[in-house]
Amino acid sequence: MAKQPSKNGVHAERAPKPKNRIAAAEADIEAAEAEDHADESVGEENGKEAASNGRKPRRATAQSMAASQRDISVSEFFAKNRHLLGFDNPRKALLTTIKEAVDNSLDACEEAGILPEIWVHVEQTGPNRFKVGVQDNGPGILKKQIPLIFGKLLYGSKFHRLRMSRGQQGIGISAAGMYGVLTTGKPVKIVSKISPKKPAHYYEIKIDTKKNLPEILNGKGEGVDIPPNEAGRQYIEKHGIEWVEIDHGTRVTIELEGKYLRGRGSVDEYLEQTAIANPHVRIHYQDPESGSGQTEEKLYDRSTDQLPREPKEIKPHPYGIELGMLVAMLSDARGQTLSQFLTSSFSKVSSAVASKVCQTAGVGTRTSTAKVGRNEADKLFQALRETRIAPPSTDCISPIGEELLLKGLHQVVPGEFYVAATRPPAVYRGNPFQIEVALAYGGMSSANKVPFDVLEDLLEETDARTLRQFLTTTFYGLGSDAADQIIKEADLSPRTSASKMKPAEVKKLHEAMRNVNLESGQTMNVLRYANRVPLQFQPAACAITQTVMGTNWRSYGLSQSRGSLPTGPVTIMVHMASVWVPFTSESKEAIASYPEIQKELRLGLQSAGRKLGMYLRRRLKVKQEGERRNIFLRYLGEVATAVSDINNADRKKLYEQLLLVAKKKTATADAKFNERGEFVDPAEIELEKDPSVLIVEKPSEFGIKEKAKGNGQETS
Amino acid sequence: MAKRPRKTVATNNGDAKKAAVNLSDRDKKTLRDLVSLADRIVLDADKKRDPYLDIPARTLSNIKYNKTKRFLEMGSNSNRRQLFNLSQAKVYMQSLLVASGSKRLIDEGKTTSLRGLYYMLKHSIEGTKEETFDDQTQSDTIIEDMEVTLNSMREELHLYAKNAGSMVGPITLTDTGDEIDCSRMGSGGYSIPSIVEPEVVQFGKCTAKFILHVEKDTVWRRFNEDKFWKTHNCILTHGGGQPPRGVRRMLYRLHNELKLPVYCLLDNDPWGYYIYSVLKQGSINLAYESKRMAIPDAKFLGIRSRDYERCELSPSVKINLNDTDIKRAKQIAAYPWFEHKKPWQKEIEQMLKNGFKLEVESLISKDISYVTEVYTPERLKEQDWLD
Repeated sequence: MAKQPSKNGVHAERAPKPKNRIAAAEADIEAAEAEDHADESVGEENGKEAASNGRKPRRATAQSMAASQRDISVSEFFAKNRHLLGFDNPRKALLTTIKEAVDNSLDACEEAGILPEIWVHVEQTGPNRFKVGVQDNGPGILKKQIPLIFGKLLYGSKFHRLRMSRGQQGIGISAAGMYGVLTTGKPVKIVSKISPKKPAHYYEIKIDTKKNLPEILNGKGEGVDIPPNEAGRQYIEKHGIEWVEIDHGTRVTIELEGKYLRGRGSVDEYLEQTAIANPHVRIHYQDPESGSGQTEEKLYDRSTDQLPREPKEIKPHPYGIELGMLVAMLSDARGQTLSQFLTSSFSKVSSAVASKVCQTAGVGTRTSTAKVGRNEADKLFQALRETRIAPPSTDCISPIGEELLLKGLHQVVPGEFYVAATRPPAVYRGNPFQIEVALAYGGMSSANKVPFDVLEDLLEETDARTLRQFLTTTFYGLGSDAADQIIKEADLSPRTSASKMKPAEVKKLHEAMRNVNLESGQTMNVLRYANRVPLQFQPAACAITQTVMGTNWRSYGLSQSRGSLPTGPVTIMVHMASVWVPFTSESKEAIASYPEIQKELRLGLQSAGRKLGMYLRRRLKVKQEGERRNIFLRYLGEVATAVSDINNADRKKLYEQLLLVAKKKTATADAKFNERGEFVDPAEIELEKDPSVLIVEKPSEFGIKEKAKGNGQETS
Repeated sequence: MAKRPRKTVATNNGDAKKAAVNLSDRDKKTLRDLVSLADRIVLDADKKRDPYLDIPARTLSNIKYNKTKRFLEMGSNSNRRQLFNLSQAKVYMQSLLVASGSKRLIDEGKTTSLRGLYYMLKHSIEGTKEETFDDQTQSDTIIEDMEVTLNSMREELHLYAKNAGSMVGPITLTDTGDEIDCSRMGSGGYSIPSIVEPEVVQFGKCTAKFILHVEKDTVWRRFNEDKFWKTHNCILTHGGGQPPRGVRRMLYRLHNELKLPVYCLLDNDPWGYYIYSVLKQGSINLAYESKRMAIPDAKFLGIRSRDYERCELSPSVKINLNDTDIKRAKQIAAYPWFEHKKPWQKEIEQMLKNGFKLEVESLISKDISYVTEVYTPERLKEQDWLD
């Protein structure tokens, strides 16, 4: 992702070719600055470059080529390359649309300090058509801003500042709208209300892909105010926009070509995972089947009323900028001295640091920024790199926090042991970031508890050709081994067509899924988050998955083959919070592997892993100790009877005495274990008191196990 | 073993009243030993100690070859068997079950077979599906353990093995009061019981001059059919492979009380060698019984490694040695009681060189009665045997 800093600064003065600019857009502020003038500048630059390249006319002359060279708008570019934004297939398009809308809503609510409440409504309108409505209780959007936000690519509030937020580039929701218009021809419908006193405003917008400008269709290009009375309600009804009456908020409705499937990478999954990472959010969800009365509205309720701490906006850190960006900033800062410029534009640059930088670069601190030329800028850039500058302040990041991580995970993922670890903030390329890890151990796999009717639906909907494929792709943490086990148990052929199963076969499958113990065949379920947004695709390309796989989980009591995910009933969620999350593509599916990020990820995973290891070791010990005592107890009765048969001793008394010896024996075994593993045991006692750990006691299967455990605690 | 006479007497009185069984002196001694074993466990439990049994080790490492007595003796090593040891808990329990089973048999004045005791003690442990014994080999091993622990023989525990081995010849004996003439036993012969102690079997008239012991039933039948014992005036026995203790004890008594030399006709393979070794010096597993069973003067008549050539046998009777045979042969050659006997070393070497073994039955390839009419008489006449 790192953009190569130009060697001589020549390119920096000129805007790069449009294609480059877009590819680099998400990392490079300069590109966005230039974007505002895109319309007039791009054409020129393009022409110039082509002319200078076309020195050897062969098949075409410079003139003839120039005739076909023309402006490419960002919108056009994305219309052709929709996969870059996550619209590669109908199923993903539906998800991406909802995701962008929800992310925007959450950002808006949090920024305004409102506890978010989101309504998500998906409705099937045709064979491959869906109408998606997402409403929030946010502050609403000013009338004049609505068209730009929803109808212009690369327009937004979040790109130009360094502040932790879900959205970053201002591409998402407008791209979703564009996709909708492209596939169904239906405009994007927006209703927004900013206060109870003002009427809600209604716009129907289309994006002009050539000009990258919104085109307002209703109210003669002005939009319509919806009156807050019965007439207004009828109006809403007529236009197919279900507005939930609230004091303020925004609802966007997009109709698009899509496909609704449950399972991995689905809308349901996205909302569930969002609920885990955002315990302060309430989501009302109506899936496409709720319209036909098959399912109720689903509610993901909040588990806390506490809004996350408001992230502060920070100035860029000198280590994070590039030469081109520096040049642009210099030209923006008209009339300032260099010292003023440096201290006011960057974080952590004091006047002392500024003078040191100027000294290293060989320019005066009082030089006007206007007089700084190409060479000086280069020197200044090098000097900024070389000077020791304190890392950026990290209060701009608002992590979820260990307590809420535990709450969120516990509410959604059933298990017996939970641990969370929030790493202290760190910095990559001048951008502060923070890694959080939460882990749940135990509980049933989703495959174990799937209800029969849902399984039927899933089988009906699936794309998978074989049953084996269906199982591994539909259920999280269900590896091919486990799938084979289930199929064997159900006495079906692995090549059975998933969608053509007979009812009796489905019944057998369901039975098998319930009965097969998937604990060993399960692979770790990795939930990835960036700024509280779940990442559902491209796990292999993501730094999180790579680091999880690269961590040695065997030392924490899980089994793992080299270079793959560990197995066991484990769900791990990893959250990266940053002012700028380095995604590998615009569709925001995978985090790029910066060494600093990988290091923090590793440390976070290890911290959670260590506690899991302690828990598992203790569990194993309790189990072994229990089994040990169990074996003794089992034979004590026989021994007592045999002895009293031989010498007429009091059987009951003897048995009780032997029982005491047995307890003493196993207790001393504990003590020995403790001495040998001095390091292990004190920490294990602390495990209970550790605020980052949550242990859910389940009623023990064997009475003896419980007894053994109680005893162990007495002695320790 | 610590004795507590007072308690022992009381217990015996109580039992005697209940069962009204006349206990022999040996029974009383065994009961005393059993009770003191149980008493020690009660004492240990009372003192919150970990109860254990010290069981003399029945392994090669705990065997001494007594050169003057010329048989195997058991050393003084023992293995401790603890109740509170995961790998021993079950065996410990089984040991006590066997002890209590034996106590019951003695109290009631009855005996039972090894298999009978297995069934007597086999039940599922309370509250589980686990059985006290999974198969008879488990209880058989523990019976041997208890024999050495209590220093009592199997018959003293009122246990016997199934009959294996027959005998025929010019001898009369009394078995539990019944007179038996071993020269009139038909084709099956007298089945040697598991317990042949003087209380059970008494010898009568005997005109035999020696004993010929053969390895198994099939060979024995050949000799009996040909009336070898009549023509050569001997007692003919077999032990069904590795001879059980009853057969060995019978041979021992015949040899020692009637002064009859013992000749063995066994297969030419490591197993045949070891059968001879057990008859002569006693077995490693039951070394504590050697003094009552070993016959150091027993002779190995055949078959010999050189018989393939000497008797011009057909090549089809050769059985190739396998890896186990070779390993076992080397083991046997290294036993201290074989180590210094040059003829034996040569014999084993020869077999290994041949690369094949020979069964007694292989002589049949010469003639059906070759073994009884030519081979054995010749060997005896020439005094051609191994010692």
